[in-house]
Amino acid sequence: MADVLLSLDAVSKSYWRGPSELRVLTDASLDVAAGELVAVWGKRGAGKTTLLRIAAGLEAPDRGSVRFDGADLARLSESAHARLMREQVGWVRRSGPSSDLAMLDYVALPLLIDHGQRGAHGRASEALRRVGMSDCAGQRWSSLSDGERALVAIAHGMARTPRLLLVDDPTANLGLREREEVLQLLLSLVEEANLAVLMAVPDMPAAMRSHQLRALSGGRLLTPAAPPAPRGGNILDFPRSERSA
Amino acid sequence: MSAKYAVLGLVIERPGYGYQLAQRLEERFGCSEFAPSGVYSALDQLSRDSFIRSAGEMGAGPSRRAAPRTIYEATEEGVDHFEAWMLEASPTPPLRDELHMKIALCRPVDLPRLIDMVHGQELACMGRLHDLKQRADEDPADPHEWSSLMRTLARDAEVAVWNARIEWLQSARELLEQLCEEPEGASSTRRGAAAAGRSRMGHLQVL
Repeated sequence: MADVLLSLDAVSKSYWRGPSELRVLTDASLDVAAGELVAVWGKRGAGKTTLLRIAAGLEAPDRGSVRFDGADLARLSESAHARLMREQVGWVRRSGPSSDLAMLDYVALPLLIDHGQRGAHGRASEALRRVGMSDCAGQRWSSLSDGERALVAIAHGMARTPRLLLVDDPTANLGLREREEVLQLLLSLVEEANLAVLMAVPDMPAAMRSHQLRALSGGRLLTPAAPPAPRGGNILDFPRSERSA
Repeated sequence: MSAKYAVLGLVIERPGYGYQLAQRLEERFGCSEFAPSGVYSALDQLSRDSFIRSAGEMGAGPSRRAAPRTIYEATEEGVDHFEAWMLEASPTPPLRDELHMKIALCRPVDLPRLIDMVHGQELACMGRLHDLKQRADEDPADPHEWSSLMRTLARDAEVAVWNARIEWLQSARELLEQLCEEPEGASSTRRGAAAAGRSRMGHLQVL
């Protein structure tokens, strides 16, 4: 396994609604290595987005620690954290731009600070090409299909060539073929760029292609494990000797 | 349903002998849990109905201790029969789930045991997903290739079943544990069950 890039260690998080505590995460531990796609499955409201926000340092855990490339996020200064987020962490969200931007401008948006308009457009154009969406550069979000939106969202998240990509429900509303195309693209980016991907999904089929699958249930991060031997015995346990003809 | 049509379909795809077909059945329809003997019963029945026939034998290897293996292929009649089955409407299977019935018929005093059962089912379903994940790792979907797409579609059906069941089990467990924790009228048994539920979650994590 390659070096661990993101590491959550015994992270707990609760929200308070008046006097009642809503425990979202309890002792959640997770490692994501460079070149690895980790899927976290959980039903709606299970705490997946909170997990992603904590992984990005946008929310502080009540207990436990989050490390990026060995550095404890809680110990980073605000400016160091902002730089890390800008340079090394990409987000793929389902929601598009709030304004009526052309997709080239939308993908270029996070690049403007560091690269100026011309440089940003060049890189955005390359990001759209990489996801096979060059033809949509001039289109608006509202005119795109769900599959196209997913690909543009990945281009937006990848535009700054991050080391870690946090992906929130990338295959929502997609059919099987589009879903597999999106997952195939993510896996090829993981391989080509030695990218670490932490992906939250509410539907298990979307998690089947991951390198590591975790399930979020009752605030705990579980690892699906092999079941005990079935009562009737495995079909391949049947005696190997063939019957005579 | 029996393994008959699944075995016939596999023989039509590619001739094979009994153990090979059992392996292929396990790979393709592992979650269907066909009984081990089902493949051989299906081969017997399909042979009697003249839907398959022997296409020769395969040697038993250098030891010559084991009997030779019969390789089966489909007959024209078998292909016609299979195609007719493919076009038939499939019945909706009855949902006769023991756990549903136990929940519907349980009494408050059964709560601790019920939480245990729900938890056990959740673990078992996680195990099924683990198996399916392994199958997906061995046979990744190619969205541009027909047979891969169809295999993935069938696998998705299994994944969706376990996905939905785990979600329901989680909701059921949350409710049952809430009932255990309700202070008003809660018996010591209920409070004990809640504590047991929490410790079980700790157990889940280490799996």
